[in-house]
Amino acid sequence: MTFRQFAYRNVIRNGRIYAAFFMASCFSVSVFFIYSMLMFHPDLGKGILGDVSIVGMAGAEVILVLFTLFFLFYSMSAFLAARSREFGILLHLGMERRQLNRLIFRETMLIGVTSIIIGMIFGFSFSKFFFMIVREMLQLDSLPLYLAWQPFLLTLGVFFSAFMMISYVSVSFSKEHKVLDLLRGVDQVEAVTPYSKARGIKGFVYIILAYLLAMLAPHVNFLVTLIVFIPILVTFGTYYFFSDTILLILAIIRKQRKLNWKRYRLLAIAEQTHIMKNNAKMFFVVTMVSTLAFLSVGVLAAMSSYTTQYNLVNPMGLIYKGDANNPYEKEHINSLLNQLEERGLSYHLTRFDVVKQTSTATNRQVEVLRESDINRLLYSNNYPIVSLAKGEGMFIPNTEEDLKILKNKRVETVLQENDIPITIDRVYPRVIFPKAIISVNAIIISDEDFEKLWYITSNPHIKQPVYHLFTFDINRWVETKDIRLEPDPYEGVFNEEAPYYLENAGLNYSYIVATYSLFTLVGLLVATVFLLASGSFIYFKLHAALERNQQQFEVLQRMGLSDYEMKKLVNRYLFPQFFVPWGLALLHCTFVFAALQVFLKDLINISIAKEVILAFSFLVLIQVVYFYLIRWRYLSHMRP
Amino acid sequence: MPILEIDNMTKVYEGKVTHRAINQLSFTVEEGEFLAIMGPSGSGKTTLLNMISTVDEPTSGTILMKGVDPHQLPENELAYFRRRELGFVFQNFNLLQTLTVEENIVLPLTLDNQSVDEMEKRLTMITERLSLTQILHKRPNEISGGQAQRTAIGRALIHRPSLILADEPTGNLDSNTSKDVLELLMQVNQEQKTTIVMVTHDPIAASYCDRVLFIKDGEFFNEIHKDDRRQMFFQRILNVLSLLGGGQVGDLSTIRLP
Repeated sequence: MTFRQFAYRNVIRNGRIYAAFFMASCFSVSVFFIYSMLMFHPDLGKGILGDVSIVGMAGAEVILVLFTLFFLFYSMSAFLAARSREFGILLHLGMERRQLNRLIFRETMLIGVTSIIIGMIFGFSFSKFFFMIVREMLQLDSLPLYLAWQPFLLTLGVFFSAFMMISYVSVSFSKEHKVLDLLRGVDQVEAVTPYSKARGIKGFVYIILAYLLAMLAPHVNFLVTLIVFIPILVTFGTYYFFSDTILLILAIIRKQRKLNWKRYRLLAIAEQTHIMKNNAKMFFVVTMVSTLAFLSVGVLAAMSSYTTQYNLVNPMGLIYKGDANNPYEKEHINSLLNQLEERGLSYHLTRFDVVKQTSTATNRQVEVLRESDINRLLYSNNYPIVSLAKGEGMFIPNTEEDLKILKNKRVETVLQENDIPITIDRVYPRVIFPKAIISVNAIIISDEDFEKLWYITSNPHIKQPVYHLFTFDINRWVETKDIRLEPDPYEGVFNEEAPYYLENAGLNYSYIVATYSLFTLVGLLVATVFLLASGSFIYFKLHAALERNQQQFEVLQRMGLSDYEMKKLVNRYLFPQFFVPWGLALLHCTFVFAALQVFLKDLINISIAKEVILAFSFLVLIQVVYFYLIRWRYLSHMRP
Repeated sequence: MPILEIDNMTKVYEGKVTHRAINQLSFTVEEGEFLAIMGPSGSGKTTLLNMISTVDEPTSGTILMKGVDPHQLPENELAYFRRRELGFVFQNFNLLQTLTVEENIVLPLTLDNQSVDEMEKRLTMITERLSLTQILHKRPNEISGGQAQRTAIGRALIHRPSLILADEPTGNLDSNTSKDVLELLMQVNQEQKTTIVMVTHDPIAASYCDRVLFIKDGEFFNEIHKDDRRQMFFQRILNVLSLLGGGQVGDLSTIRLP
């Protein structure tokens, strides 16, 4: 038997132990490969994915590689630790360290190369399926499968060097240990559990402080400082939480016999102390990664809620707004009509005159619309028609929020300039115009009253005392995204000086969809990796502690631990490992989203709570499945 | 009154090579007795102990403990039976590394959901007797072998079992500590009338017992009772062992005609 054969047989015959590591490697390779396939997609350059930037995807890939590297290294070292006895025997039989290192290196490379090949084959066969999902999600016409050398080369290059690196680093593992220690197994329990009380308290305080700041963030102005400050606080807080705070709490419980000497608690708490002490770094990483994944999933859910609500918020396709003395009006409207006709889009044009007046009730400006104008628009939109008598008025709600506030409001006012008394006692039951078009204070009055508006306001604070609105109601409004104003001497929609303004819902929507797709892709990536990692970390860690736990359960069984009780105890061993990092990550995210919810409400007026809760429950469900799966494997190892 | 009755017990390990570990073994243990089981390696001592501790089942034959056959009990009852009626002392102590000495000792009581007051009462009693009071808050890997074995004995005693099973309790200890541990076991046996069954290789350890049972290749070989003087008893044990280990001698003795 040559040395190479020995390494080969070691891998093949240890198949069951290697399987987990091999599968994890394969999975990382195929996820990476699939994303490379998307990144190198020839249609991507043509802008088929909207404005998803390649930079964004490349960034996501870099994060993926870094995380995979960490993950593979961690798995590898946990896995080598589990095999320490075997290495001890080999050294005991007289194998040189150099030879052992070569053995580990060969084994790792064997697994690495095999998993790269299998992973790429697997990835390639699933990329069509993945493309279909992406196509469906981003509403693309087609996203064909293609064959190119770049994704293969990139995957091969990245993972080959990754495995090389891991082999070299994990080889150094065997140098630290003596033969005797290896023979005994690496997972030894140290006598005292070191932790610092100060840092324990710090961890707790940092996290609470970060939460408080997050709650305050939407209400104060130094937002940027907070955006920088909160993540730093959370990161340090989380680290201290796992390295010291938990140990501190456990130590306090252990000192209280009344709390500690309870049935399974005695064993569970002692075991948790051991687990926490040895794996603080791992739990920290898992928590931070989970937080990121949750955030991206949450943002994803929020975005999807925004896109579905978009049409509700913006019922009009195009809205052109121009001053009374706007010299381009005729030209612009003609060009818009031409462009629409060129594209074969059917539309319904309504023209409005909007007059600004001063209301005596509030002494502020109010925008007044004519009943028959608005009815033409409402009629074409199949919205309920308005009918007003002389002296009556109706609010136009700007947002859904307004709708609720204005519902039961009754205002008696006089339009100061023309001395027309109006009683406003109802609100139009739907949002008609997007926010930027009409002001917060807009009312509809009857044609009779509108005719009497002779005098234009003389209030110097009111700009554009009269303006014209042209609304284009377009069924296929998504297709209007390249419609532009011609000529456009003021260049751009945000120019305050311009006497005109065009609201293009299709264009806005295309921006949103592009951002959304970027988030979708990145979020999917992060969530996949996180799914792969969080369960596997714990699995490999359990692998390393298997022997000691087996021995422990054997003793307990002799002492009379029934099978049912053993399950209970295993639950208590595994549960915190699974759900404490997750729980903390969820808590982090809850505060971020609570802050974001308030913030978004001010900005675009949509609620993300429902979607976020839905997405989170889905993630929790997955984690519960993971928990039972690993518990099942663990129990099968523990039972005699 | 016998506390343990073993009748015609046989254990066969099936597998690629069928192996008969225990062959039609019968003996009884009286209440309050300190019994040693001796025999060469592979004679089935540990198998026997496993079956008495109910973690393994005999292929045929019966075990009665206080008149009950534990192997007939349903699984949960069996666990409770083990938890209340049996105490274990192992060669490598098998203390749980994550627990402190006192936690290790009270472990059987916590599993049985006893009140903390009761646990504390018993803990003080036991630790004073075993002189462990100084090291209660230490971890198993911070204490000496003798202390570890005394902790293990504490754990075996705290729930006042009717039978203590000891598997080579002195196997990992030096001669002085061995002596302490054995004297402790003897004291426990005499003062509390706790029945102890101890499996051992060591004739010195066996000489502390009331009776020594010898088995060879899973079969009953011989048994001898305690003398007035331990020295004499030790000598007789050695004699039997020489018969037992001599192979030829043993064979000759069985065919000797009167």
